[in-house]
Amino acid sequence: MKLTRREQLAAWLDALMERATVIAPRQVESELLYRPVAASDEVVFDFQRTAMSPKGYFLPSTEVLLEIEKRGAEVTLDEALPQEEQVLFAIRPCDARGLRVLDALLVEHEPADVYYAGRRHQTTLVGLACPRLWPECFCTSIGGAPDDSSDVDVMLYEVDGGYLVSEVTAKGAALLAGLQAEETDQPAPVSDRDGPSVLVLEAEAWPALFNELYWARFTERCLSCHACTYVCPTCRCFDVRDYTTAAGPNGIRIERLRSWDSCMAAAYRRIAGGHNPRSSKMHRLRNRYYCKFNYCPQDFGAVACVGCGRCIAVCPVGVDIVEMLGDVAALAAARVGEGGADE
Amino acid sequence: MSESIQTALRTRARELLELGEVSCVVGYERSPRGRVRPAFVYDPADADRLVWDDTCHHNLMVYLHDRKNPPRRGEEIPRVAVVAKPCDVRALNVLLHEGQIAREKVFVIGVACAGMCEESTEELQARCRRCQERVPIFYDTLVGEPPRVAPVDEDWADLAELERLSAAERLAFWAREFDRCIRCYACRQACPGCYCFECMAEQVDPLWVGIAVELPEKAFFHVMRAYHLAGRCVQCNACELACPMHIPLSLLNRKLVKEVEALFGYRAGGDPATPPPLATFRKDEELPL
Repeated sequence: MKLTRREQLAAWLDALMERATVIAPRQVESELLYRPVAASDEVVFDFQRTAMSPKGYFLPSTEVLLEIEKRGAEVTLDEALPQEEQVLFAIRPCDARGLRVLDALLVEHEPADVYYAGRRHQTTLVGLACPRLWPECFCTSIGGAPDDSSDVDVMLYEVDGGYLVSEVTAKGAALLAGLQAEETDQPAPVSDRDGPSVLVLEAEAWPALFNELYWARFTERCLSCHACTYVCPTCRCFDVRDYTTAAGPNGIRIERLRSWDSCMAAAYRRIAGGHNPRSSKMHRLRNRYYCKFNYCPQDFGAVACVGCGRCIAVCPVGVDIVEMLGDVAALAAARVGEGGADE
Repeated sequence: MSESIQTALRTRARELLELGEVSCVVGYERSPRGRVRPAFVYDPADADRLVWDDTCHHNLMVYLHDRKNPPRRGEEIPRVAVVAKPCDVRALNVLLHEGQIAREKVFVIGVACAGMCEESTEELQARCRRCQERVPIFYDTLVGEPPRVAPVDEDWADLAELERLSAAERLAFWAREFDRCIRCYACRQACPGCYCFECMAEQVDPLWVGIAVELPEKAFFHVMRAYHLAGRCVQCNACELACPMHIPLSLLNRKLVKEVEALFGYRAGGDPATPPPLATFRKDEELPL
């Protein structure tokens, strides 16, 4: 383990910005957001959580997938694959775990999303441990920890006098070249794990609860906005459309655009002919939870929630995923008590 | 004060449900985390879940749109009771004018309101400092005594700063604000006046606004929404309070409130007898446009 002082870390960051795009927590008007930074003094080191997860640097809210040009009979396709090396600085363990979930869905599951996979490959993750769980956090209930370094390349722990630096991967070790630091036998601090203890039902237990009246009541206050899905580190639904960007007598140019979409939108599940199998907010919000705790674990082996608490913090009407998990566990227990679990 | 309102609210809600006057009372409750949020009470035994304090800022009229149709075809639309502050009732009034809600299907539990506070600072919200209305313009029952609050003149001070800027500077201001918009539509979803079955911003056929989450699309959406609320916005601020990115949307809406007031001497939802000017045609009308 190495110990580096804040100014040494800042100097290394400044040097790093010369050769790679560095994305770090930055104050943008009223919000703390991951944004590209041009100097280390723009970086906010002391924070709880950013308003948005950093998933947009892997799955951008808007990206061009393809450019299509047609000149006479000749058609050319130009795939806009990501090229740039980037460093994500001060990513929290939960957000890094969110990328592991996205990897399971978008990289390890064929066909891989080459755009996402490319950005993942070209990004080095510098983690920053949380000293404790913040309000709304519940990472420890979902297999994570505020100091979990399993999903980053380098892990930083804030200590008296600076940061302890742990090289987690070879990629991380390479990134640290040039960092002024001294060897220390000081162990990494263990973060305070005090927080809610939520029982998350196993994936197999969810289908039996699908038709519970509970869902209609619990989802009644939902406004059907997209905030929870857009701040979520693991929600990844998108829409794709082609746009004509230029057209003339000699040909036509088309852009294939991908942007975030949300299963909370009323029209998200509408199909040809106008039918909508998820026409009410009960259907939509229930689906969001089943996606996270039943479908993703069964189909991809990953619970699609990391306990970052953003959806709770951001909901304008107090819809609370932790409350839902507690209620669902109680419902399941009640069914077992009644002997109706195998319905 | 808020404690006696809370007690009265619970009593009234319980009576209404027991007598079968309404099927549900839409009000406020405290979440397990201690924050106030919308609540739906169906059972008289649950009436004590209802709370009242100076953080009950949500405009609950937005939930009436979920109840415009019967639960099953052929059934009657159930009547609901809804807890309403003066600004909320103005929103209901707009919806009545627009033929969205049947008055007899809503039992209005009006609340005498001393204003709502910011959750972070516990200071009175700016919109409440300006508000002159302590009692809703109409209700079926009123809880609480109208509090005495010193009247304040509307000086549009919050807009003055923006109005002093040049058009280019204002554009730069809004570009900065809209830049962090994530197109989550929380503003629209929290707004009782935004009830289109299909919003123009999400319409697919024809596609008016592209799917990109970029500044042109975001700015277009917000400006369009503001225009669609001209003469209809009641300044309840539900949009701004719902925004996860804290974009000062009230500045946009209030600018149009000010313009409509200057042109027509009209405030949305204020008077049940006056039809909204932008939905009224008069043959002899001349406007200094």
